[in-house]
Amino acid sequence: MPFLEIEHLHKQFGTLNAVADFNLQMHKGEFVSLLGSSGCGKTTALRMIAGFEAPTGGIIRLNGRDVSRVPANRRHIGMVFQSYALFPNMNVADNIGFGLKIKGQPAAAIQAKVHELLALIQLPDKGRSYPYQLSGGQQQRVALARALAIEPQVLLLDEPLSALDAKTRVELRQEIRDIQKKLNMTTIYVTHDQEEAMSLSDRVVVMNKGVIEQIGTPFAIYNYPKTAFTASFVGQLNVLPVTVTDGAAGECRFYDQPLKLKEAFAAANQSTATIALRPEELRLGQQDGHNHLTGIVENNTFLGAIIRLRLRVEQTTLLADLFNERQMVIPRDGETITINFPPHACWILDNQLN
Amino acid sequence: MKFKWAWVWIILGIVYFFLPLVATINFSLKAERGRYSFRAYQIVLQDPQFISSFTLSIQIALLTIVFSLLLIVPTVYWAHLRLPQVRPILEFIAFLPFVLPAVVLVFGLIRIYSGPPFALFNRAWGTNLIMVGAYMALALPYMYRSVDTGLRAIDVRTLTEAAQSLGASWPVILWRVIFPNLRTALLSGAFLTFAIVIGEYTIAAFLGRFTFGPYLALLVRNRAYEPAALSILSFAITWSIMGLIQWLTYRAPGSTQVAAGPR
Repeated sequence: MPFLEIEHLHKQFGTLNAVADFNLQMHKGEFVSLLGSSGCGKTTALRMIAGFEAPTGGIIRLNGRDVSRVPANRRHIGMVFQSYALFPNMNVADNIGFGLKIKGQPAAAIQAKVHELLALIQLPDKGRSYPYQLSGGQQQRVALARALAIEPQVLLLDEPLSALDAKTRVELRQEIRDIQKKLNMTTIYVTHDQEEAMSLSDRVVVMNKGVIEQIGTPFAIYNYPKTAFTASFVGQLNVLPVTVTDGAAGECRFYDQPLKLKEAFAAANQSTATIALRPEELRLGQQDGHNHLTGIVENNTFLGAIIRLRLRVEQTTLLADLFNERQMVIPRDGETITINFPPHACWILDNQLN
Repeated sequence: MKFKWAWVWIILGIVYFFLPLVATINFSLKAERGRYSFRAYQIVLQDPQFISSFTLSIQIALLTIVFSLLLIVPTVYWAHLRLPQVRPILEFIAFLPFVLPAVVLVFGLIRIYSGPPFALFNRAWGTNLIMVGAYMALALPYMYRSVDTGLRAIDVRTLTEAAQSLGASWPVILWRVIFPNLRTALLSGAFLTFAIVIGEYTIAAFLGRFTFGPYLALLVRNRAYEPAALSILSFAITWSIMGLIQWLTYRAPGSTQVAAGPR
């Protein structure tokens, strides 16, 4: 039986459908991210699970019990906010112990738990500090410990790393994942950062305009996007307008350069179609059995492990991410080069992308 | 040139504000002919009428503060949290006492509460109750403004939700999270209310309660040096309360960062 079940969850603000027909099942200890741009309904969905918003329709079942109408303070769901939301009038230890104090636990038990959590978040000697004396990353660690102190059934994180600098963000996200695994905590994580969602989650829920576009493992979402939105939102994507030459054989033309795909076109011969290709599938030079394209280098960006080329083929700009090698000769701007990619690297987009 | 004129204005300002104060202090010390003494202060402090009227005023002021806080904090908090659209209406109501003279207020009160069904003036506690209500109205603009400013400075919604997710009920959220984070705002609101009630004359006089305001008026009519001494005493009390608020604000934990926001 799933630990958390969400069925046909729906939220309407006036005429706006903030969340429509949201369905998700999670097993205990799973880490799921809700990924989407701002206004896609991911935070609204999270707030309904937390109990801060009343759903217009649908059911949220936690451990077999319908909690859709249970007030937030009785749901036993932990929450971490983007703005940390530590109580400014309390020191770190009191912040962490707040939930336990409300439950009426004995002081000794609270102290022991606070001690344990401070060790877990690697701030063992900060118990007496006040929130304003801590850095952003430390404050968010304390907020995490505070949410975990009540041993919630589910932990919700609403863009917890958005307010932090890049380095802290990467460090803390790994820590969050480690702690989550250690405690086997069922966790929902809201983010607009695809890298964060990919690197943390067991499964990712891609949302757009209040609707779930796709649910799947990061690998599946990235490599087998089911909708045009997912394909374009997750990762970089080259979109090639082509003319079908032999649909059944998967053959087409990109301007006047022939391409062969592994899958067949549904579209008729001589009609137009759109195919997609990840930048990292492209290689320099010729290779037998691969597709080849010739184009002019517009510019190259050195990103360390990766060199990103911007290539112009007729009116279309393509991105190619090449792995850095020390002996490599980087194509110069304006140079005409040939790139190759295997037939299985491209897929046909079912509808037109913008 | 500009700089020189600035100094002239500053000095003029100091003279304007402090000269009357110095003169009053000087006068209040001259109760005995030919030498400076604290005679006037002694007389005032030993006057049983001073003690009874001042105690009554303090009691009424404290009741006004408590009831104002109980009424205003939850109301403004709720408006911030759930009903932002009613905030302009609340603001309008809160400023009404400014355009309503105390005389008008007190006559209205007398008309309504002197006969059945609300004949509250028959008893001292009834009159005190009405006074507290009237003072709550007079202090409303100041109290509202303080609480509103205090709530603007903290992230009310997120703090509330954080407390809710940790299992806190509404009374717990108000008492443990909202009130402590409004400490400075509540103190300044309370202080302003205190100052208004202590010095109030019109309502107390018309309702026939001998509080500090009517006592001071009586003293001014009958004595020379004692009113001056009393003015200086009120000054001292006011300034010490202000100092106390400053001190409490300064040492309040977390007060240097009121908003728990990202940085």
